[in-house]
Parts: sequence; structure tokens; C-alpha cells
Amino acid sequence: MRTRLIIAFIVVALLSALASSWFHTLIGAYHLPAWLDGLIMGPRWLQSLVHSAPGQPPPHPVRHTALLFFGVEAGLLLVMIITVAIAASRRVLLPVRRLAQAATRMSDGDLAVRIVPRGRDELAQLEGTFNDMAASLEGKVSELQQMEARARQFAGDVSHELRTPLTAMTAVTDILYEHPGLSGNAATAARLVHHEVIHLNRLVEDLIEISRFDTGTAKLVTDDTDVATAIGRCLRTRGWSQVSTEVPAGLAAVLDRRRFDVILANLVGNALRHGAPPVTVTGVTQPDGHGGQRLAVTVRDHGAGLPGTEIPHLFDRFYKADTARARSEGSGLGLAIAQENARLHGGHIDAANHPSGGAIFTITLPLNERTSAPTASIGGCATPSVGERSWSVGRLSPDVASRAPYATGE
Amino acid sequence: MGPSVASVLLVEDDPGARQGLELALQRLGYGVRAAATGEAALDHFRGDTADVVVLDVMLPGLDGFEICRQLRRDSDVPVIMLTARGEDLDIVAGLEAGADDYVVKPVEPRVLDARIRAVLRRIARPGSPAEDYGDLVIDRSALIVRCGGRPVSLTPTELRLLLVLSSSPRQVFSREQLLELVWEHDYLGDSRLVDACVQRLRAKIERETSVPRYIQTVRGFGYRFGPV
Repeated sequence: MRTRLIIAFIVVALLSALASSWFHTLIGAYHLPAWLDGLIMGPRWLQSLVHSAPGQPPPHPVRHTALLFFGVEAGLLLVMIITVAIAASRRVLLPVRRLAQAATRMSDGDLAVRIVPRGRDELAQLEGTFNDMAASLEGKVSELQQMEARARQFAGDVSHELRTPLTAMTAVTDILYEHPGLSGNAATAARLVHHEVIHLNRLVEDLIEISRFDTGTAKLVTDDTDVATAIGRCLRTRGWSQVSTEVPAGLAAVLDRRRFDVILANLVGNALRHGAPPVTVTGVTQPDGHGGQRLAVTVRDHGAGLPGTEIPHLFDRFYKADTARARSEGSGLGLAIAQENARLHGGHIDAANHPSGGAIFTITLPLNERTSAPTASIGGCATPSVGERSWSVGRLSPDVASRAPYATGE
Repeated sequence: MGPSVASVLLVEDDPGARQGLELALQRLGYGVRAAATGEAALDHFRGDTADVVVLDVMLPGLDGFEICRQLRRDSDVPVIMLTARGEDLDIVAGLEAGADDYVVKPVEPRVLDARIRAVLRRIARPGSPAEDYGDLVIDRSALIVRCGGRPVSLTPTELRLLLVLSSSPRQVFSREQLLELVWEHDYLGDSRLVDACVQRLRAKIERETSVPRYIQTVRGFGYRFGPV
């Protein structure tokens, strides 16, 4: 681009020099006013140097001098032309290059990119237009982001606001439920209220937990964890002695124990409720395909399995697989929360049917060394470092953890 | 559920939640006095001390943290924070202000009951005669701790933590173990309770909290008492 511009400049300059010399010859035939004559033919002293007498050819030394003048003049002219060409091309090309760079940055997602317009020419106008476009795009995107953040925040706020009235209801519902003076319809009504308050509590807790994932405040609190112990404790605390486990001794992983417990309790709870016994939990390590190892924990039941059309939606929020069974103790968020918890670890949960019958859910988590412990995918927070554990935002209180969401997928 | 001798001072500004919790606690056998504001709570407490304080965090005027700090100035009464948010900042601030435990709204009455009982149990624990660890003297039967000859005023939780740790000097207790032994939480309880209580205990019995002599941190594992 630049070379072509310079060549064009030189060509134009040479052509104009040629044209001016022809013009010079033409103009010689006319009597011009003194000032115009001086301008075109050169000052008087130069004319008198060249033409010792009007009409006479110039003497030899003068002719040499003229040739010398002409050579120097041509050389100077060439240098000037090239200099001007380079300067001019810079003036044209630099803004274009800046525009191109800015456009590249913008297409890479940097909407804050702006160009400082220089001058008042068309290129400066283009730069101004580019800035306007970037500003308007940035404004729109940030508006959308704010709307989304507000919607997420709102869901969280609503859930929090529900807690205070729920505190009163939860506190007194036991009194109603166990009141000896109630009988018949009144007792039925009290029982209904009691159950619904419990259900509402679970729903609100799960909504608050989901909104932590949405707003990026859910963070990992990891520890070196013996997988067999963690699984055993999860089952024992909930009295699920009928569930058999197959986990090699000494299998260790860096896990957020509470979150792992929530995932496992949800999957085993679902298997016990919707599948058929025996329910088994296994844990193995397997290659992750990138030269590392990963932890795979499976929960399998021996029931009818999952209808194929439902598998892609199982982890959707409030997805109820069986509409006839739409109301149950679950919040409809349990599997969504389990999946988010797995993702927070840098892993995921998959649902499938076992070839020989029954549903099988697989929790796959990266088996990282403590030094390169998994980074939270949400909120961009790093995992606490070695040694002293650090606690971060989003941790539920123990009493919430013990009421953790077990159900969904109904 | 036997007749309870424990009296609870309940501080909660929302009338519904206050009344509801009052009813539930009374039904569980506690003597309950309720206050709607922090100022009223402090007045109540000066007039007639309670065995345990259940304190809402979000209060108009003096908030729960400030009330907790003021209570701590002249009392070792167990304080259970009642937080509506269950969020990190609240919990950490509550523990730093000197709370012994916390529950998240909406709390089920039997959960609150269990927490109150666990806090109260920390007070009673018969033991052997005084043990001498240089500067620090622990009298298990009289439940008196002396540091440099002067009696140290410990909250029941701090005392229980010190008694548990010093019961087997040199043995490392994990945070989970301490949560189960001292707070009677389940194994997924919040270890921040332990860390906050250790900080407070160190501030009271260690000469230099940055170089603890008695309550030592074993990085990655937990805490131990000594070796002195």
C-alpha cells in the first residue's frame, strides 16, 4: 500500500514537472505582468544570468551552471517528493492501521476500545463514527448484562426476603402440627401447612443456593479428601445402609467436602426414590485424555432406567420428568445444583442408562494435585492454597447443609 | 423434654419471627424474654442475665455484632447468632464479635434447641484437679483457668475447646473433630467456628498470639495443645 502510494506520488510529480516545462515554453510567447513573469520565469538575476542578452544563447560556463542547477534541482526535488510521499502515506495509512487494530480488538470482545481522532479529514470522521459505534455497542451490552445481573440478584433477594416470614412460620408450624386439641379437618389442615412450610423452606434454600451459582458467589473450599470415607459418611449420616459401595482404599482427591456430599446425597437419594434396589456407588480413577487422571464416581440403580427423551433435560432447573409425579418433596433444583457443584470443581455429571438395566449417573471430577487444585469455573475464584484452609463466600451453614437438597428430576 | 431451667434472651426485630421463635422456645421449655431492639436487649440483660442469648444480626439501631461486642465486655454468656442471610460476611463478623455459634433463618425449632443445649452443655464438665502448664493452670473440677496467676474469663465454648485440646496434649485434633466434640455439629459443620474460637482463646491465654505456645496450629491438619 505504502510503496504504491510513493510510486504514484513520484509519477504525479514527474508528470507535473514535465507539464510545467511545456507550460514554460508556451508561456514564453506571452508578455506577462512583471510579478507573474518573475514567479514563472524565475527572478530577474537568474534570468539575466542565463540570458546574457535577450534572444542570445547563454555562454558556455553559464550553460554548465544551468545544467548543474538542473541536476541539483532534480535531485532535491526527488528527495522532497519521496519525503512528502512518505509523510503523506503515513498520514493516510496510520489512521487506517489504527482503525484496523481497533476493529480487531473489538471483534475479540474488547468493547471499551476507542481511537483518539486526529485532524478533521474524512479519516478522522471515520474514526469518530467507529468510536460512536463502539460506544453504542458497549452501552447496549452493558445494559443487557446489568439487566441479567439484576434478574439474578432479584431471584436471590426474593429468596432472602422470604426467609424472615418463613422463620415465623417454621417456628410455629410444629406447635400446630402437634397440637392435641386439633382433630378432623383442623388437624388435616395443620398437617398440610406443616408439610408445605417444610417444602417451602427447602425450595427457598435451593433457590438461594442456585442464585449463588448464578451471581458467581459460590466458591470452593477444598480439602484433601479420602473418597471412600467421604462416600461412607454421606451414606451413614443419612441412614442409607442398603447402598453398597465399591471404592478402592486410599483413593484421594482434592474436594469441597460439603459440595461433594450434596452431589452424592442428591444422586443416591434420587436412585433410592425413583430407581429400584440394589443401589451401588463406585469410585475409580481413569485417564482424562490430557495426560492426567480424573475421579469418576458412579451411582447406579437397577430400576426401569431413564426415558431417553428426558436425559438431556434432567439437569434443567425445575424439570419434572414425570408430570404425574410433579409434586414431591423435592424442589426441582436438586440435580441442577448437583451439576453446578460438579462444574465448580471443574467436572460434570452425566446421566445414562446402563446396558444391563437401571439408571447410572457419573460424577467426573479432575484429580488435581493440591498445588494445581481446580479453579472454580464460576466467579473465577482460585481454590484455597496449601496448608491452612481458607474459607470463602457462599458456604452454607451446617444446618442448611444437613437439610441439603436431595431431590429433583421428578 | 424435662423442665428447662435455661433462660433465653431472644433479640429479633421482626414481630412475626420474634413471636414465632418465642412460642417455639417456650414450648420447648425455655424461659424466654424477647427484645425487639439492641438497646432493649442490653437493658434486659443488665437487669436480669440470661443463660443464653439468641441474637438476630439485622437489627435497627445497634446491630447484632455491636450488641455481641457490648455483651462480651462484661459477660461470658453464650451467644448464638441468628442470621437471615447465611452469607460469609455475616458469619465471619458474628464470630469475630464473639458469637459461640450461629444458625441460619428460617431455623427449625429443634435445630435451635439442639444448638442451645450444646452451648449450655459446654459449661458443665467434671474433671481432675488442676493441671499446671507453666504460665497456664487449668482446674478441670472448678472450671477455672489461670494465666500468669490471674483467673482468665472464658466463654463456655472457649473453655470447652481448651479442655478438649488439653485433655490430650500433643494430640492433633482436626477441625471436624473439634466441631463434633465442642460444638456437637455434624461432620460437615463450619470450621470457621473453630478458627474464630481459637483466635479468641489465644488472645486470652497466649502471651504472643503470633507465636502461640499452648494452642498450636498444625498446618493442613488442625490444632493441638502444647507441647509446652
